[in-house]
Amino acid sequence: MSIRRALTGILLVTLTWATAAIASPNEACQKCHGDKAIISKGGGHLYIDPGKFAGTSHEMIGCPSCHDAITAQHPHDGIRPPRAKCRECHADIQKEYSQSLHGGNANCSDCHNPHMARRQSAVSGDYINAQCNKCHDKAKTVATHGKWLPQAALHVDAMPCITCHTGSKNYTIIMYIETREPGNKRGDFHEATFAELMKVSGGKEPARLIDMNGDNQISLDELRRFNTSSKYEGMRLWGMMMPEQVTHTYQILDNRWDCTFCHVSGPRAAQSSYVAFPGKDGRYSRLPVEKGAVLDLLFGTPDFYMMGNTRSTALNIVGALILVGGMMFPIAHGSLRFLTRKNRKEH
Amino acid sequence: MSTTVTSSHNEEMIYLTPTPVRIWHWLNALGIVTLSITGIQIRFPEYVNLFGSYKAAISLHNTAGITVSISYFLWLFYYLFITGTLVKLYVPNLDDIKRGIIRQALFYFFHFFRGGPNPHHSMPDDKFNPMQKFAYLMIMLILLPLVILTGVLLMNVAPLRELLMMLGGIKLMVSAHFLIACCFTAFLFVHVYLATMGHTPLAHFKPMWTGWEKLEGNSHGH
Repeated sequence: MSIRRALTGILLVTLTWATAAIASPNEACQKCHGDKAIISKGGGHLYIDPGKFAGTSHEMIGCPSCHDAITAQHPHDGIRPPRAKCRECHADIQKEYSQSLHGGNANCSDCHNPHMARRQSAVSGDYINAQCNKCHDKAKTVATHGKWLPQAALHVDAMPCITCHTGSKNYTIIMYIETREPGNKRGDFHEATFAELMKVSGGKEPARLIDMNGDNQISLDELRRFNTSSKYEGMRLWGMMMPEQVTHTYQILDNRWDCTFCHVSGPRAAQSSYVAFPGKDGRYSRLPVEKGAVLDLLFGTPDFYMMGNTRSTALNIVGALILVGGMMFPIAHGSLRFLTRKNRKEH
Repeated sequence: MSTTVTSSHNEEMIYLTPTPVRIWHWLNALGIVTLSITGIQIRFPEYVNLFGSYKAAISLHNTAGITVSISYFLWLFYYLFITGTLVKLYVPNLDDIKRGIIRQALFYFFHFFRGGPNPHHSMPDDKFNPMQKFAYLMIMLILLPLVILTGVLLMNVAPLRELLMMLGGIKLMVSAHFLIACCFTAFLFVHVYLATMGHTPLAHFKPMWTGWEKLEGNSHGH
């Protein structure tokens, strides 16, 4: 018994020491770098927002993992620490990226903030495009694409650049809640923040605005209720095509040029969709939507429609009946006309 | 120009369809057929590929849509301000509503088969029978403006997003555009068939090309 107690004690001490060893360097760094006062001392790049850094994989591996040249005397050692080298962990991505068209034009940190590293599923399409817009002026992007792409502004708004400029062979439909500027009924829409959604939901998790029964799935009925409720006037669901895989190749696959990638895949490709909700830390989490909900005739997703894909079967049937009605008249009347042709000759 | 002449066969001919209307008609016909066919590819791209690529179908659809829209407004301008006969020709009068439409329907669905005469005789100032007036009024003053409006909205989703939302969202506009397009295509079948109901099957096609129609035997308006 005493041996077991001793072993348990050693294990606990080891774990505590190990945890402290991992956590304490971050805490020591954050003491200065997590305080906004550092901005006035050395510049905005020195400030690491604790809320955004928390929970990231980079936080878990700890500051010294990347910043290994920091000495014990930092910042009083007079040494300017070298930049972290992403390739030490992300060698395969670095290799892929350096061979791409984009490789010579931007560093990893020009697009990715290493202190808020997030998975692609945890960021919105608008956020991804905002990174591209740092270098690629949106108006110019629309104008350039407009030379060959119909409704270029719509396309640029409805998908992240990397949906086409990527090696991802497929896409996922993700919907985000957008809202207007407060107090402006005709103002521009923007992606609703966690705080804005909490205000509308009366303090409940934003997901409960649509997932009303809290079963972590969104039914067509819940979508319809959200879209037709006067409580949510001024809000809308904005659908975007997000790439399924993330690559750093930046090539354009052939099927992106002739619209087939999205528009010729038919309703089968529009069966799965998700709604993404922002969390308190700005990370998005997705809830699956009932299969085929985006194909609903009117109220499932009233402001999301992708030509060739999200067509309603019910509407197709009504349309076909109208056409059949139009064809039946000549057939029926023409048949009777043929059978009674003698009557007209007599007259 | 005189509206009636006597032909070498002693048949009285009547100038029924002025040149601007004929040009408009055939331009419109070509445009609507193009719109219907490209529309099928745009809605069902995984089954139909008649124009090489999806983009080609969209470009052709947009071009035909713009052509039909401009041609519609020219037609409206012509009938409203040049001839001033829009109401007279297209709006059914009281007699049309009370008796004319029933009389015309009885002819199409009953008397025609017994060899009876068409109760309506087309004249330049009374070209359409009561059923035609109802049909054309619906098509030219309700459905065509609606399909043009929804088409313009769908061609400019980003800049007109606010208007789209005010009108019920993009899905409602797409649905309306599709259903009206189906109505137009259905009408096309009926229209072409009824055009064969002159005293000869081509009797009504010729005046839409030359403008002149035989007065005698002008018995089956369409």
